[in-house]
Amino acid sequence: MRIACPHCGERSLDEFLYSGDATVRRPDFASPTAMDEFIAYTFERTNPAGPHRELWYHAAGCHAWLVVTRNVATHAISSVEPARDVALAGKPETKDGA
Amino acid sequence: MDWHPPATLDLAVSARETLTMASFAAIRGKEEALREAIRAGYGAELPYHAARVAGVGITFVWAGPNQWLAVAERENGRDLEAELKEQLAGIASVVDQSDGRVVVRISGPRARDVLAKGVPIDLHPRAFKPGDVAITHASHIGIILWQTDDAPTYEAALFRSYADSFAHWLFESAAEYASTR
Ligand SMILES: [Zn+2]
Repeated sequence: MRIACPHCGERSLDEFLYSGDATVRRPDFASPTAMDEFIAYTFERTNPAGPHRELWYHAAGCHAWLVVTRNVATHAISSVEPARDVALAGKPETKDGA
Repeated sequence: MDWHPPATLDLAVSARETLTMASFAAIRGKEEALREAIRAGYGAELPYHAARVAGVGITFVWAGPNQWLAVAERENGRDLEAELKEQLAGIASVVDQSDGRVVVRISGPRARDVLAKGVPIDLHPRAFKPGDVAITHASHIGIILWQTDDAPTYEAALFRSYADSFAHWLFESAAEYASTR
C-alpha cells in the first residue's frame, strides 16, 4: 500500500504509522457523563466494511499527521488530508466515513 | 568520521564537517513575516514544497510543513543558530543542528544506483533532480536527502550517531560497483 502524503508525494507504507480512528473526538473531561463518553471514545468502534477515516502519521517523512480515507475492504485510498487542516476546518467527522 | 571506504570504490563519499546548521519553524501567525525576513536577510524565497533554495551565503532545505533546515559554511566562526535567533526573533523557533546532524555527500556516476538500494523513493531524474528534497530513510536511517548536481551528487542530512551505520550500509551497497584496478 502507498499513501500520497500531501507534503511529500506518494510513499510506501513503511514510512507511516497507523494512529487510530479519525472519526472519534476526545470527550470533555468536565462532562457529567465523561466516564461513559470516554469508554465509548476508547473502546467502541463501528468496524465498517468500506470507506473509513483513519489517522496516519508520516513518521519517516515529514512528520505530519494525516487523515486518510481508505476503503478497508479494498485498501483503495480516496483522500489524504493534513489532519491539521481537517481540525482547523472543524469538519464534523462522521461514522460512515463521508 | 572515521570511515574506511574500500580503496577501489568508484564513489566519492565525504562528511561535510565545515557546516553550521539550524532548523527553524514559523511561530503561529508569523508565516508571512518569516518569508519576508528571509527575503530581506538572505534574498531567498522559502520553499513551501520539498525543495532546496540558495540565498546569499546560505541554503534553505524544506524540512516538513512550515519547517526548514538552514545550512551554511562555518567560516569566520559563523553560527547559524545565533544568527537566525537574532534575524528571526519573535517570528520563528530556531534550533541548532550543527552537532546533532551530519551532512554526507555522495557523488559519482553510480551514486544513484547505490542510494537506490536503500532509499525507497524514485531517484530517476524524471522524479528527483537538483533542487529537489525528500525526507525519507536510507536503510531504515532517517535522512533529509537532496541532489546538488547531475554527476549525480547527493547530500543526506542524518543524525550524527547514525553516521557509521549509514556509511557501513553505503560502502556495502557500493561494493559491487568497485573497480578492479
Ligand atoms: Zn509527508
